[in-house]
Amino acid sequence: MLSIKDLHARVEETTILKGLNLEIKPGEVHAIMGPNGAGKSTLGYVLSGRDGYEVESGSVEMDGKDLLDMEVEERAQAGIFLAFQYPVEIPGVSNMEFMKESVNAMREAHGESALSSAEFLKKAKEACKQVELPLDFLKRGVNEGFSGGEKKRNEIMQLIMLEPKLAILDESDSGLDVDALQVVANGVNSQRDGKRSFIVVTHYQRLLDYIEPDYVHILSKGKIVKSGGPELAKEVEASGYAWLAEAEGADA
Amino acid sequence: MSEQIDQALARKYDAGFISEIESETFPIGLDEDVIARLSAIKGEPEWMLEWRLKAYRTWLKMEEPDWAHVDYPKVDYQSISYYSAPKSMKDKPKSLDEVDPELLRTYEKLGIPLHEQEMLAGVAVDAVFDSVSVVTTFREKLEEAGVIFCPISEALHKYPDLVKKYLGTVVPRGDNFFAALNSAVFTDGSFVYIPKGVRCPMELSTYFRINEQNTGQFERTLIVAEEGSHVSYLEGCTAPQRDENQLHAAVVELVALDDAEIKYSTVQNWYPGDENGKGGIYNFVTKRGLCEKNAKISWTQVETGSAVTWKYPSCILKGDNSVGEFYSVALTRGRQQADTGTKMIHLGKNTKSTIISKGISAGRSNNAYRGLVRMGPGAEGARNFTECDSLLIGDQCGAHTFPYIESSNPTAIVEHEATTSKVSDDQLFLCRQRGLDPEKAVSMIVNGFCKEVFRELPMEFAVEAGKLLEISLEGSVG
Amino acid sequence: MSQWLNHVLERASTVDDWLSPVRAQALDTLKQQQWPTRRTEAWRYTSLHPVADLELKSGTGNATAEAPVIEGLNSLDLVFVDGQLSTDISKLKLPEGITISELSAPSEPAEAIFAQVKPSRHLFGLVNDVLAQQGVVIDIAAGAKVEQPIRIVNFASAGIESHQRTLVRVGENAQATIIEHGSGSGNSLNTVFAEYDIAEKARLEHYRFALHEGEAIHIGGSHFKLHDHARLNSTLIGYGSQLTRLDVDIEHAGEHAFAKFNNVYLLAPRQHFDLHSTIEHASPNGTTEENARGIIGDRAKAVFNGRIHIHRHAQKTLAELNNRNLLLTRGAQINTKPELEIYADDVQCAHGATVAEIDEEALYYMLTRGIDRQQALVMLNFGFVQEMVFQMPNKALADWLQPILKTRFESMMEKQ
Repeated sequence: MLSIKDLHARVEETTILKGLNLEIKPGEVHAIMGPNGAGKSTLGYVLSGRDGYEVESGSVEMDGKDLLDMEVEERAQAGIFLAFQYPVEIPGVSNMEFMKESVNAMREAHGESALSSAEFLKKAKEACKQVELPLDFLKRGVNEGFSGGEKKRNEIMQLIMLEPKLAILDESDSGLDVDALQVVANGVNSQRDGKRSFIVVTHYQRLLDYIEPDYVHILSKGKIVKSGGPELAKEVEASGYAWLAEAEGADA
Repeated sequence: MSEQIDQALARKYDAGFISEIESETFPIGLDEDVIARLSAIKGEPEWMLEWRLKAYRTWLKMEEPDWAHVDYPKVDYQSISYYSAPKSMKDKPKSLDEVDPELLRTYEKLGIPLHEQEMLAGVAVDAVFDSVSVVTTFREKLEEAGVIFCPISEALHKYPDLVKKYLGTVVPRGDNFFAALNSAVFTDGSFVYIPKGVRCPMELSTYFRINEQNTGQFERTLIVAEEGSHVSYLEGCTAPQRDENQLHAAVVELVALDDAEIKYSTVQNWYPGDENGKGGIYNFVTKRGLCEKNAKISWTQVETGSAVTWKYPSCILKGDNSVGEFYSVALTRGRQQADTGTKMIHLGKNTKSTIISKGISAGRSNNAYRGLVRMGPGAEGARNFTECDSLLIGDQCGAHTFPYIESSNPTAIVEHEATTSKVSDDQLFLCRQRGLDPEKAVSMIVNGFCKEVFRELPMEFAVEAGKLLEISLEGSVG
Repeated sequence: MSQWLNHVLERASTVDDWLSPVRAQALDTLKQQQWPTRRTEAWRYTSLHPVADLELKSGTGNATAEAPVIEGLNSLDLVFVDGQLSTDISKLKLPEGITISELSAPSEPAEAIFAQVKPSRHLFGLVNDVLAQQGVVIDIAAGAKVEQPIRIVNFASAGIESHQRTLVRVGENAQATIIEHGSGSGNSLNTVFAEYDIAEKARLEHYRFALHEGEAIHIGGSHFKLHDHARLNSTLIGYGSQLTRLDVDIEHAGEHAFAKFNNVYLLAPRQHFDLHSTIEHASPNGTTEENARGIIGDRAKAVFNGRIHIHRHAQKTLAELNNRNLLLTRGAQINTKPELEIYADDVQCAHGATVAEIDEEALYYMLTRGIDRQQALVMLNFGFVQEMVFQMPNKALADWLQPILKTRFESMMEKQ
């Protein structure tokens, strides 16, 4: 479904991704781990098309189409969803309003008719329940005055509403306590239907106890240096990332 | 409003009489004779003519203000005609097919129903009874409550003493250049009178007047709310209004006696001119309210049109405990220029004022907030809170804030804050990543930016205002 | 019109020195100026009535004075009395990296000395251009880190009109501290204008103390031009007098420059103080933080105009301005106008202005802790201003200033 070949990308003057390769098939959950500065968040931004992130070389294809040629909203409409690490506030715009516009924009792009207010509210209620957010939060401004945990749950709630093909979770566990972590994980797991794929970006192994990945990749200095199954995450847990430096030393 | 009905009825039943009046359109130029003729055509009382002439003489001695942050070619006051009769049925479009399709497209986007579109476009409404019945129910309800709502020219005939008592008491003839001109040559406007203790049963709207009348080149409005009464007045509409008259100089006076409350909302979308700023309307307005004890006046405005806007709805908080509010959204795009804000003059004790101003600049426009908060020596315990926020869309426009704060009372508290920013890249990215195209995203974010002000508008205006903003922002993004 | 200004024009034509070419230009501009009235925006709240027909003698150079001693400051003092330099520069032991020359001594081309920094719109700045015959040019060599503060002291004696001028050029990567210290109380007119050109990566710590009182009329300005990566930290303390008017201009001519400008005004009964500051962000990536706090006593009047102008291409500017005021009595008056004129969109800009009463809760809290009311009021009101003094980088100055301001404030409170 998603095919990333030899991707080189930079932000400002610095090249962050230096030849990243990744193949994701429908239904698969890929975890990306790595030390800070490795380029984990950059991958998410480059895939979603954020301004300021320039692709130097390489290709990304989604369902056979050139993803890099599409605008941000076109990629979203093609099925890419990015759950932000630091979700931004949009004062005065209620979550309800925001989500409705978003859901209907997606539907329009797929030739479907817009949801009526009643239909939308029904879906929204269910999604809220899934992430244990009270219904009245729909009236609040987007991320306005939200705690860290509420912001992360809001991201997952949006994921549930938008039904993407590929969801990229950018450190959706950072700053969360165990309870909040479980809620987020449950939300994500409820969306695993065998067709939807996930890229779960995380620094710590902990989240992967709750969201069991099919594949784990270690990203270091802009490249995937090691890939494996879920056990790889446990290895990292045990020995940290220091061994990477040695491994790189050996390569160089 | 009733004038419109009268005329429509008269047309059907007494064409001869009307056609004589209808043919009257003054040649250009202004002098005392023109004013005398104007007053005569309207059949005004002697004192009204005298009042106008005094205003005219004062105007002659005044200089046009040039300190506002706006730049416009000088107006030649001798090249304007100061009276033109309403269009006869013969000259109007017969149906919407004859109306500018661009205009129709905007009406559709604003969700205006077909028969209302006809009214707005000035189509000759054949079914007189249709509009009469709607308007008649309206009038009956008001009469029951004792509320007077009629054109000011009618009020001068039916209630001259009331008009005489209050006209010019809040905005004196010589207050400023445009007010003086308006006082001399005003053609029409609304007169509203709410008797003691009455809560006006419905929102009064100038909407009904748009069809027949000229769109108020020199409009004069006077609203008097007696002790303990309450009224909400809506001016303008979201539909883009074109007018052959380029200069608009209106005066609005509000009088709120003890314990009364007046809410005045404006949604204005005058034609802003083409992309080079040519042909747009210059809108110079003096709006002021006077509050007696415990009274309250709120001004709420959404301004998206005009080539040049110069208006400062103000409150004189004379009575103790009186309250003044100003909520404004001003959007400028293309080459529009706006210099708008408010003046809150605190004279009485414990008076309170709140100012929330949201300015949005796009294109090559310039949008300035100019406000005055004055705490007089007697404003013991008075309080003001002001928040001015500006949003810049694109890097070719300007956003400015000039707040004048004057205080001579040590117990009066003034708090003023202003911020300027642009739609953040992060917000834009979030919206786009959720499937919204950039224009929709900006429109939504801007709407959120204006939320605090939209909340103060009467409901149907709030919905219209949101749509208006969306349409106005089209083409301003990217 | 103004008799005084007419006399200035007459006198100006008699001034003949090596600066005459540039003085001539300034005189031309001055001749085109209108005498300000209430309708002139820049003088809207300050009446020039005390100056309009003023006739005073010009400085005679006979008076002498000692610069006030500030413990621990160890400054290099340049003393001017009624616009005349009384310090013998040749006898000074200058720290390394500094050169000081007198304005009256010809050096480089006249154009290099005048009108490099100060905008030409200031009326009294132009008067100073044409009449100031004495002053100093201070050069800090590139790379020099001068620890010793340099203090320019201006005394204004009663019955005298005087004009003094300073130009400071801080070289690339250099560092210096300059203090402008002015005072006077009898009926005098003293214009003092100082220009500062701060080169790339240079740092300037600046102070202006306008401690005039009584009948003194003091009109002046401090004008700064910041080049790439320059840093300015400036503190202004004003007392007010019959008429004190100061114009401060800070121009971000280069990128990535930083300016912090704090000002405090404490007006004793019936004094008048007018501060107009203008921050010009003409280049991208600049930062300015301006904080002004004032306490206004009985029948005194303060005017504050803080303008921030962000030019079209000055993207990524960060600018913040805050003005807080306290009125002590009913007769006190404040007119404040923080202005924003912004033509660039990728900026963060904010301003705030308040006129507020003291926090009753805080007062009550102090009373319940046994502090007597008068003392409590002093602590609360003054604390508001004291904060600014504590932010001054030079501790010797802060230590000297704090008790002086406190005493002044206490006497302002008594006269209520």
